[in-house]
Amino acid sequence: MKELSMPYINRRLLLQGAVALGGASALGLRGAFAQEPAKPAEIIVRAWGGSWVDSLKAGVSDPFTKATGVAVRHDLTEDNEIQPKVWAAVAQKRVPPIHINWDTTTNATKSALRGVTEDLSDLPNLKNVTDLAKPVGLDGFPIVNTYGYVYVLAYRPAAFPDGAPKSWKDLLDPKYKGRVAFYNDGIGFHFPAQVAGGGKLEDIPANMQPAWDFIAKMKEQKPLLGEDPDFTTWFQNGEIDAACTISTNAREARKNGIDIKWVVPEEGCKFDTDGLWIPKGLPENELYWAKQYINFALTKEAQQVWLDGLGLPGVVPGLTPPADLIGDPSYPTTEEDFKHLIRISSKVQVENESEWFGKFKAIMQG
Amino acid sequence: MTSRTAYPLTWRIMDVLEGVAAAIWPRSMARATPYLMLAPAILLVGLLVLGLLQMADSSLRTLDTNTFLLSENYSLANYRRAVTEPLFAVVAWRSLLAAVIVTAVTLIFAFPYAYLMVRTRSSALRKILLIALFLPFFIGQVVRAYGWLIILGNQGMVNEALGLVGIPPMRLIYNYPAVLFGLVQYMLPFAVLMLAPALTAIPEELEAAAGSLGANWVRSFRHVVLPLCRPGFIGAGVVVMTLSLTDFAVPAILGGGSQDFIANAIYDQFFRTSDQGLGATLALMLVALGSIVVGLVFSLFGAGTLAVSRKRK
Amino acid sequence: MREPLSKKLVLWAFVLVAIVTLSAPTIVVLGASFTAGNIITFPPDGLSLKWYAAISQASDLRNAFLRTLWVAAVCTVVAIPAGTLAGIALAKYAVRFERTIQTYLLLPFTIPLIGSGIGLMLIFGQAGILGQLWPVGVAVCVINLPFMIWAVTASAAGLDPDLELAAANCGAPPLQVFFFVTLPAVMPGVITGSLLMFILALNEFLVSLLLTDARIVTLPVQIYNSIRSIITPDLAAISVVFIACSGLAIVLLDRLVGLEIFLKSK
Repeated sequence: MKELSMPYINRRLLLQGAVALGGASALGLRGAFAQEPAKPAEIIVRAWGGSWVDSLKAGVSDPFTKATGVAVRHDLTEDNEIQPKVWAAVAQKRVPPIHINWDTTTNATKSALRGVTEDLSDLPNLKNVTDLAKPVGLDGFPIVNTYGYVYVLAYRPAAFPDGAPKSWKDLLDPKYKGRVAFYNDGIGFHFPAQVAGGGKLEDIPANMQPAWDFIAKMKEQKPLLGEDPDFTTWFQNGEIDAACTISTNAREARKNGIDIKWVVPEEGCKFDTDGLWIPKGLPENELYWAKQYINFALTKEAQQVWLDGLGLPGVVPGLTPPADLIGDPSYPTTEEDFKHLIRISSKVQVENESEWFGKFKAIMQG
Repeated sequence: MTSRTAYPLTWRIMDVLEGVAAAIWPRSMARATPYLMLAPAILLVGLLVLGLLQMADSSLRTLDTNTFLLSENYSLANYRRAVTEPLFAVVAWRSLLAAVIVTAVTLIFAFPYAYLMVRTRSSALRKILLIALFLPFFIGQVVRAYGWLIILGNQGMVNEALGLVGIPPMRLIYNYPAVLFGLVQYMLPFAVLMLAPALTAIPEELEAAAGSLGANWVRSFRHVVLPLCRPGFIGAGVVVMTLSLTDFAVPAILGGGSQDFIANAIYDQFFRTSDQGLGATLALMLVALGSIVVGLVFSLFGAGTLAVSRKRK
Repeated sequence: MREPLSKKLVLWAFVLVAIVTLSAPTIVVLGASFTAGNIITFPPDGLSLKWYAAISQASDLRNAFLRTLWVAAVCTVVAIPAGTLAGIALAKYAVRFERTIQTYLLLPFTIPLIGSGIGLMLIFGQAGILGQLWPVGVAVCVINLPFMIWAVTASAAGLDPDLELAAANCGAPPLQVFFFVTLPAVMPGVITGSLLMFILALNEFLVSLLLTDARIVTLPVQIYNSIRSIITPDLAAISVVFIACSGLAIVLLDRLVGLEIFLKSK
């Protein structure tokens, strides 16, 4: 009922006013204090657990609370598993269970196509971001990408005495039988497999037979298939010698004292992004503060701390890479770095992903 | 008057309750009493049926990947995919086979356990056995799987021990046998707890009598205990079989990603590819398969307890 | 009567294998919780209580645990009457369409948990009761209800129709017959069934995941969710605290009700 008694404020006007008035403050909204909609006691941000949420808390959530007084609660439900909850809430016209979803761009794009995302194109800090922040193939900003990441080939140097693997094909060596790991839907591996199998990236999605042929060969190696925590676990317990995984997981194992390195092989690696978005159906004032949170996540200060924790390149120019990742292929900064990486538009990905997952599963489960 | 107040309070309460019960449910309706008793459970399960109806609706709609909405019009396309795509046949066969194997192995181990727990004269032993049953529950499935990795992994305790006698490390987890093993471990407490009440109901004197008539223990097991315990076996068997058939967590965490069951395929559709239609289709087909299996068990072995108590009427 | 040695050996062989299998991962996790390192290992990497210190600081874990107890209580309180009545009805009476009803009542097990979870989420969402804790308790009760029913029917072999008939002939009204003759006969089933319901409710994560949100998250859901990046020893420490609490609960139950009498043969 609180919202009803509040005088109606045009959001766009307010946000613009905020930029105009509060240039100096980090949030760009202090000056607009008199016009601010009522602050909710807390906002709920969906995040991944472990070092992921720790980084977000240190870089974005805690400073945001300090600046605004709005507490942030983290919902650690998996991105895949929150999706049906949010979709059902919007379809049933309920208030969604979260204010902000920290999501893979692919998953977020599905939500955007379904029309359950709020438009974010009026965030003031969007004028400072690189092209990476803009979702490819969608109108406006239903999602804001906040950083990129690479599905690298991570390996144990002890298992590769002749030096780092140069090609994904090196993993077909019989001595790695049962010692290689991929994501259980093959995500991150479909595109390099297309190249390794002799196909062209331009043929995606029309002809991906080379990828399936290569994956079928890889199946003979009896790979392990898992999710993010599995890779760290498997490296730590000596279950695998190599994996196609997000560099963050490999770095996590390295932090725990495991000897592990990663490369971008000659065929390239998949590059993708994660982003933030707001589900429809929030009360007006909560929507406002959720937007402020995302706006804050796009400041250089927030990005620097948050992404240091993850070891990933952000979307604001001028960030300092973590010391251990300078010149690292998993932390692309130059055009040269990006040449070795494969980026496919999220639109193509979401339209074909089910089929790719299905094919990968059919090969691996057979 | 004084004699009336001398009645214990509970009696009077019972009288009132009897009065109320008789008013609401007169004796003439006695024939319907069993259905009244079944009503709460039927209504509770009815919540799931409402969910199934929703699913039946989505199973007839296909996903449009341009909007990620289900189609307005109905079609059988999802069912066609479910029966024609080889992946689903593979996972269905794998789950069904596992359900049968796991049920057999679990019952074989559960019976001696329940028997010892019920028949032992030492109350300390009984409690230890009971607590050991509940131990695995409290660490949760995922942490439990991590425990198995430490024990059975390539650098795990078993492989290290084997290494001492010169056997090279071998893969003990992340394969089909590991999934079966994990399921048996998961199901064993359920089976024991289902068998125990059935065993307590068998008078010990009956065994003693068989013994005094010259039957050795194997014969008295075969001809006295096991047949009388049949209700427990059917209960435990049905429970273990249906739960194994529809399990999701054990194949996911002990199968190394390549040992999916039907429930994992359903998970993928709901959560990974966002195809609620196909997910609902697979779920409904699994319900049908499970119910057929249950019906089969009932018609082969009878519906458990009922046979016993009714025979005596 | 003395037990033959061969019988003892055979029984114990099976039971020992079972005990080792049941407890091995728990013992490993128990030991690993005292590690001084950052990884779950066994034997632990040095001894320390630092992971216990870490979880004792986390008030959200304590709140999640209290919520879990509430959910488990709701689940058990709903399950006992519904499951016991249904169990007795199935065991005692010749019900029409009995096999159909039995199969129907097994739906919670034949529907995959993901299906039940999604279905209940939609139903509860429509009813506008999502975001509260009691529907989670009801949901957990529904998905485990067959355990309660079957535990009761399994002990119903102890039901003696003649005894009930005798009581009725002596003029005992139906409720009295039920409470003083029928119910005591199936009590072992009721006790094991409700114990199982309670413990399963304490550990349910898949359906609860879909029915809770961050404000009312339960402990198993929180544990399930927090393993996205790495499994750290604090999860082992939580498990150990969980085991200790449940051990205490079992001892208490034993003191109050006496587990003994329900499991021992008459």
